[in-house]
Amino acid sequence: MKASFFKTSGAASIIYLCLGYYIVMAFVAPGFFTVNNTWNLLYNLLPLLVIAIGQTFVMITAGIDLSITSIIAVTSITGGYLMSSDTAIFDSPESLIFGVLGMLLVGISIGTLNGIAVARFGMPAFMVTLTTMMLFSGLAIWLTQSQNIYNLPEAFVNMPYSSFLGIPTPVYLGVIVLGLSYFLLNKTLLGEWIYAIGLNVETSRISGVKVARIIIFVYAFSGFCAAIGAIFYTARLETGSPVMGQNILLDVIGAVVIGGTSLFGGKGKIIWTFFGAFFMVLLDNSLNLMSLSFFLIMIVKGSVILIAALLNANREKSLRTT
Amino acid sequence: MGNTPKIKRTIFHGTALLLSFIGLLLSACSKKLERTTIGISFEILQTEYWVASIEAMKDASQKNKADYLEAVANGDANRQFEQINNFISRGVDGIVIAPKDAHTVIPIIKAANRANIPIVIYNRLPAENKGSYTTVVADNYDITKKTVKYMCEMARKSGNKHKAMILIGDLGDINAVHRRNGFNDAIAEYPDTIELVAEIPTEWNQEKALAGVTNALQAHPDISFIFSSSDFLFPSIISALKNVDKYHPTGHQKHVILGGFDGDAMAYKMLVEGYLDADGVQDVYYECDASIQAIIDRLDGRAVKQTISDPGFVIHKDNLKEMAPKMWGANWAKQ
Repeated sequence: MKASFFKTSGAASIIYLCLGYYIVMAFVAPGFFTVNNTWNLLYNLLPLLVIAIGQTFVMITAGIDLSITSIIAVTSITGGYLMSSDTAIFDSPESLIFGVLGMLLVGISIGTLNGIAVARFGMPAFMVTLTTMMLFSGLAIWLTQSQNIYNLPEAFVNMPYSSFLGIPTPVYLGVIVLGLSYFLLNKTLLGEWIYAIGLNVETSRISGVKVARIIIFVYAFSGFCAAIGAIFYTARLETGSPVMGQNILLDVIGAVVIGGTSLFGGKGKIIWTFFGAFFMVLLDNSLNLMSLSFFLIMIVKGSVILIAALLNANREKSLRTT
Repeated sequence: MGNTPKIKRTIFHGTALLLSFIGLLLSACSKKLERTTIGISFEILQTEYWVASIEAMKDASQKNKADYLEAVANGDANRQFEQINNFISRGVDGIVIAPKDAHTVIPIIKAANRANIPIVIYNRLPAENKGSYTTVVADNYDITKKTVKYMCEMARKSGNKHKAMILIGDLGDINAVHRRNGFNDAIAEYPDTIELVAEIPTEWNQEKALAGVTNALQAHPDISFIFSSSDFLFPSIISALKNVDKYHPTGHQKHVILGGFDGDAMAYKMLVEGYLDADGVQDVYYECDASIQAIIDRLDGRAVKQTISDPGFVIHKDNLKEMAPKMWGANWAKQ
């Protein structure tokens, strides 16, 4: 009975949690229920959501990608370097294209490196990505000597505020990543294999699933998503920074865990992560609007993530005992 | 029977939608802000200086009968950007921001300008931009130069030539650059007395400072003149000096002429005990009052200068009693 409760209501609970929290905050947090703040929520959600989607893929395979912060930093300075008029590597129109492509390429490359270390060398994902996090964070700081890169193209820095058919450009980017991820996980054989690996890697291997390739793919995809997140952040701060995204790891993992993706792999959905990320953004936004102190906000966020992880582990335990 | 879960689900969703609608109505009718509200955003509360500043900002808001909202970004420029947008949504009347650096504040200035909300940049000059804002900042160059000149006079009076070291902050921070320039220009006037042998890049990091000072003292054991671009690096300097038995008060033959910048509680104690010779003090109370006043003036339609400079002052053993009440760190030390 207990197991069935967790099984049926666990995933949906995040949706109701978001809804309930949203309604409560509409009463409690001044300025929360306004058009301006709705846009704020959306703009704040997009980068976190995109990065959390990549993390969801990895966590479904029972892995974890701690290197996303360093991927964001390295891709941010790569984009800055390729696009800045200070470095003047490319002419104005080309710099935007090469800058964005360069960022994606670097993100995918670091992700692939993580994937190879995990899949081919059998190293624990935690250790691999922790190491690459240190390595690439250090590299970003060393390459730039801690200096930010400025003077990015107007078209790039105006991207967050531009729109097409009345819809902001970042929304299109977010929807594309969301749609692509949903399609990959739910409508393709690749998606089935990703879940299968998370449930039981040995059984998957015996069943003919190309485990190594799939694992490399999910880490590369996580790198790709982190690079897209870096594009959002770099554009809106108009700066390529070697410390970009340094503090985002807890929010990303929190979003995925709160969304209900299993810490033990084999379970998770894009729509859950969407609501997990939405809840993290709601939490930040509402507590900020209520002018709670920074320390209190950290305590609340940490507690919420801890409770979500506890529920996650409890749910997993219940499912395994039935 | 088979339709029961579907019906339950429909009822649940319907209730949720209804609650949302009621929430919308009530929030639309919710109480609007009545008093002037100022959003205060700090990049970090890493050091006493920032804590003293945010407290002084709150006091200054209350003195002006204004409410305040506070946010701290924990060193994350993106989070600070989001927090400022939250302030704008909240409908604040003015924003005071202590930004992460000179460039990432530019999109924040643009956001405030788009919302037509006056913005004051506290403590850091933004990079050149076309936005509308007021900066309240200490005259880092001048305060440092005066502090270091006082130290140089002490050195000259000793009759010896001194080997000098400076701890530099993050050179992406314009304040750190101005302090370094003030130091260089001051010692340039005393070529017969001061020889600069070590520049320690700390990036405002105590561990880097400790490693840098330790290495410099190893390479130049006869260093006898140290200036720190921020008082919060003193623990690193003290630790390194103690290691080589060079941490002694004024009058001791091994005393190292020591100076700093900020005016924090530790600097005050060191001045009282004679270990510190001079400290450049940022007048936190003046700067915070000026920041809030600039917002009030802008809201009342009065003209406000684009840059309000805090002349600060130098505190040393000769004027300690007289200037201590104006030193924010002295007040903190007594609390």
